Amino acid sequence: MRRFTLFALIVFALAMGGVFTLGPSGTQRAQTQFLGVIAPFLEKGSDLERKITDIRRGLKKLEELETENKQLAVSNKELQAINQTLRDLEVENNRLRTAMHYRERAAFQLIPARVIARDASSWWNTIKIDRGSADGLESDMPVLTESGLVGKTTVVAEHAASVILISDENCKVASSIEGTREQGIISGERGSGTSQPALCMRFLSKTANLQPGQKVYSSGVGGVYPAGVFIGAIKEFRIRELDGYATLLPAVDLTTLEDVFVVLGKK
Amino acid sequence: MIRFFLILLFSAFGALIVQHFIPALPFLSGARVLLMPLVFFFGALTLPFGGMLALAFACGFMWDALTVQVIEVGMGPSNAMVVEIGFGWSILLYAMLGAVMSGFRPLFKRGRWEIHCLMSGICTSLIVLSEFLLISIRRAALYNVPFEFNRDIWWRIGGPGLVALVLAPVVFFFLKSLATLVGYNPNEVEPEEEV
Repeated sequence: MRRFTLFALIVFALAMGGVFTLGPSGTQRAQTQFLGVIAPFLEKGSDLERKITDIRRGLKKLEELETENKQLAVSNKELQAINQTLRDLEVENNRLRTAMHYRERAAFQLIPARVIARDASSWWNTIKIDRGSADGLESDMPVLTESGLVGKTTVVAEHAASVILISDENCKVASSIEGTREQGIISGERGSGTSQPALCMRFLSKTANLQPGQKVYSSGVGGVYPAGVFIGAIKEFRIRELDGYATLLPAVDLTTLEDVFVVLGKK
Repeated sequence: MIRFFLILLFSAFGALIVQHFIPALPFLSGARVLLMPLVFFFGALTLPFGGMLALAFACGFMWDALTVQVIEVGMGPSNAMVVEIGFGWSILLYAMLGAVMSGFRPLFKRGRWEIHCLMSGICTSLIVLSEFLLISIRRAALYNVPFEFNRDIWWRIGGPGLVALVLAPVVFFFLKSLATLVGYNPNEVEPEEEV
């Protein structure tokens, strides 16, 4: 064997030995470092992608624009009327809240984040967001939108973080079903299709009387996800040998996520 | 050679970033477009064995840094953090497939450029298949979830290979042009090979 090849093989074997001995903390450190390196490029790419999308949206036909303009003018008048009514209600609401020393309605401190990239792999469902430890993020923080639960943070770099989606098989959420005492664990399905991925809920009782459309919320068990966050609606329920098993339609369209909120903690 | 190696390294990094912005292909059951393996396989055909190993290490490291998951297993006091698939498996996978590609170098040097195209397709699918087997075996042990192959999964394994097959000539001629630009001729016989 040639000397250079032999030398290369020895160096490679030593490097492999070093990498294989990385434990969970070493792995997370390496991932955090690399995410820090790649994040600025992903962010620039995301900006470019948005600009291109905006340009494409802007290239509409004149007729379409005229029709859209008329519709917008009508809806603008409607909204002005609604806005005026709401202003009156806001004044009244504030007066009553002050009178009753009412506490704030939002229970959590949320920080908005922009999705800068989606996972490019075939089997893992993650996204990258433009907030990191500099914004107060840590790993295992819930991520949601106004429609429902999205996932939780995993690797957190200074200005970016990786979020594992609820459609990933490794993301498990303790949950309960509205109107019942049924509780189960929700996770994603390996290799689920491209359209809206389905979620599955395991460990339900075999006698559960569940109907399609029933809503499922996080139960708060486990401590990562707050209780009462909407996850999805039941699509199908079937009884297996040991437990009941339901498939769910997620509340959030996980394939077109653009903006999310990270739950930093209770206010 | 070093300049060309650096070009391949930056191209692999660039390909990794670009593939994040290419959506899954709905007509191939959600198969992904993987560009980084195409760059690596070009390197495996054009670089000497040592260079191929270095590139395999870089590509595998970058891939694992983005995909490996550290998960919590067990409940209560017995819970522990484990790495789902050990960091470094992709490096090994890339090195093994790169070694296979290196075996085709004599043919490639004789001008058979289609070797890159064909082998990139096969090897890209092999990467995705290996990942699926690794996570399936691991999750079967962790969660006691059996793994199954359905039509969608087969497409998600074969799809990236088919896409690689189509894109390989473009990547090939782009990287070949860069090699010419920096004065690297992969067809030249290295002094060591004459021995």
